[in-house]
Amino acid sequence: MKNFDINQREIEQVQVLDISGELDAHTASKLEDSLKTLIDKKKNKIIVNCRNLEYIASAGLGVFMAYIEDVRGMGGDIKLTNMNDKVYNVFDLLGFPTLYDILDDEEEAIEQFNNSAQ
Amino acid sequence: MKEITNKTEKQDRFKLKTLFETSRLLIESRETDFVLNNLLLITMGKMLVPRGAILIYEPGNKKYLVSKIKGKAQIKEGEHILIPWSPNQFEELVIDPLEKGIQTPELFEGANRGLYFNLRTSDHHLGYLYLGRKGNDRVFTEQEMEFVESLTIISSVAIANSRMFTEMRAINRKLDRRIYELNTLLDLSRDFNLMVDREKIASTLKFALLGQLMIRKFFLLYDIDDNLVMMASNGLDRQPHENEKKDIFSLPEDVLLMEADHYKHVPFLRENEISALVALQMGSDKTAVVGVSDKATREKLSQSDFNFLQSLGNLAVLSIQRSIFLEDRIEKERLEEEVNIAKTIQKGLFPDHIPSISNLEVAAKNVPSEGVGGDYYDIVETPDSNHIFAIGDVTGKGIPAALLMANLQAMLHVLLPVEITLSEATDRINNLIFENTPSDKFITFFWGKYFHSERRFKYINAGHNPPLLLRNNGDEFQNLEEGGLILGAMATIAPYVETEVEIEKGDVVVFFTDGVTETFNRHEVEYDEKRLKAVIAEQKHQNADKILNAILNDVNAFSDGKLSDDLTLIVVKGV
Repeated sequence: MKNFDINQREIEQVQVLDISGELDAHTASKLEDSLKTLIDKKKNKIIVNCRNLEYIASAGLGVFMAYIEDVRGMGGDIKLTNMNDKVYNVFDLLGFPTLYDILDDEEEAIEQFNNSAQ
Repeated sequence: MKEITNKTEKQDRFKLKTLFETSRLLIESRETDFVLNNLLLITMGKMLVPRGAILIYEPGNKKYLVSKIKGKAQIKEGEHILIPWSPNQFEELVIDPLEKGIQTPELFEGANRGLYFNLRTSDHHLGYLYLGRKGNDRVFTEQEMEFVESLTIISSVAIANSRMFTEMRAINRKLDRRIYELNTLLDLSRDFNLMVDREKIASTLKFALLGQLMIRKFFLLYDIDDNLVMMASNGLDRQPHENEKKDIFSLPEDVLLMEADHYKHVPFLRENEISALVALQMGSDKTAVVGVSDKATREKLSQSDFNFLQSLGNLAVLSIQRSIFLEDRIEKERLEEEVNIAKTIQKGLFPDHIPSISNLEVAAKNVPSEGVGGDYYDIVETPDSNHIFAIGDVTGKGIPAALLMANLQAMLHVLLPVEITLSEATDRINNLIFENTPSDKFITFFWGKYFHSERRFKYINAGHNPPLLLRNNGDEFQNLEEGGLILGAMATIAPYVETEVEIEKGDVVVFFTDGVTETFNRHEVEYDEKRLKAVIAEQKHQNADKILNAILNDVNAFSDGKLSDDLTLIVVKGV
């Protein structure tokens, strides 16, 4: 198995997934499981912190596509933060910035969630 | 005089400096919008003109886009106008409509009193910088005209540059995307090869397409042995009905964009906003159909998107087919293994040798079929030196049947030394089997005890094909059918009835399983009891072995050696 890990934190009722390593066809199901679990528990304010994400393949991006509408349908969002340039390039190349909030910093994302909640 | 000269020089220097700085600013900029805005503001400010506009030529529709317009305008930015002369009509850098006596669009009130400065490179007409009259209504000086003309030329070059840059950037991005697509194909073809689980392959295909094409709705409809299976899907409100599956599968030969007719015909496609169906192939056979929606951005998928989808889809199909093939083989091997185990069990249950019994000749044989049936027979000596003959047939095949048979054999052997009657023993066996097996498991069973000194045979038939007794001096067969219910169907209520016959010298008894009588020939005709009886009658003067072989040969000849079930025969002859 390739190295890919997910850690989960909660900050001010926002769920933060710290993902690290390589997100590809083999590891995508791990991320899928984590997102599914959060959605099942109706925890729909989700930040995926990509600080330690080294590589992402299409299948990894697909997981975000698969669940974004469910999360937004419940009034939440998936926000992506702290990407390195290489990873951002892939998101950008496939046009993801038009659909997703991709932010430099996790704090910003938390702030946005808090603001929209008021 | 000197002062004036100085002033003029100063002005000239100022203009040159402005020109130099402006041109640097414009040339270095890569934003067309920035260039145009500055060109307009600088010239308007410099010339003290309160009305100005930038008109950009669009060769596609031969109209001009009002890119920038300042002053009390009659037209808004972003609108398109027609200029009633052709871009090639005037070579000049500046066009004065009044002087030429030509019509101009109504950008402003009295717009034909202004000047059109041609924005162009050596081979392209880009548009016009329009400047109205000065606020103080004076005409432009020669120097002013030179300044605007210079700036126009510089700006044109800057615009051309920035356009080229934008175009290059777009081409680069397209190239990057293509490279990324190819990498994805390469990576995934390797990944697919490592996967044996078809669900995993289908799910990887799903996620890769969702990510690469930015789509939310997807399904993979797969043909597995003529069953249409939804192997993966995303974002669907419901699954298609069986008839919808058939329609969807039959629709696309290649890439098929959905139209109103398709939606009317297959509501599932409309309800789930599926905008295209793509056929996936293995060799030349359509193996699967992928359905996708537009991109999440509402854009349509492009031809190159479909190419990617098909390439990746066909790779996935290749791997899924391989996994199906592999599974089939593993399943087949597992079944073969099971059959082998069952055969081993069954073989162990048959007696290794047939005991010699006074006053009797005995021959017995089991011929296993391709698989494993549930036949059982046994010939055992009892503690009082007499013998038990048993024959039975367990419902079902394979390991379960073999295990049940083993149970029966064990019970029989346990009960042998116990001082009980056949009837009591059968009662117990029936109850044990009834209690310990599922309700669909039965055993047809016949057994009897031969008392050699009296030549008597006591038997119980529990639902088995009645053994046939043919007397030495008679030609009527007697069916040994008395006994009771088939074993395992219900708990014993009425006791099993023992019946007794004598086996005199020359009498023949043939025990058999339905493998003998229910064998078919190639015309689907059954080898029935009549044929069996005919062989026995004809052979009854032979010894037991010969009679048995004669029956076997006849059955084999009848069925061309193709047995559909196990076949078991015991031939007993009084001597």
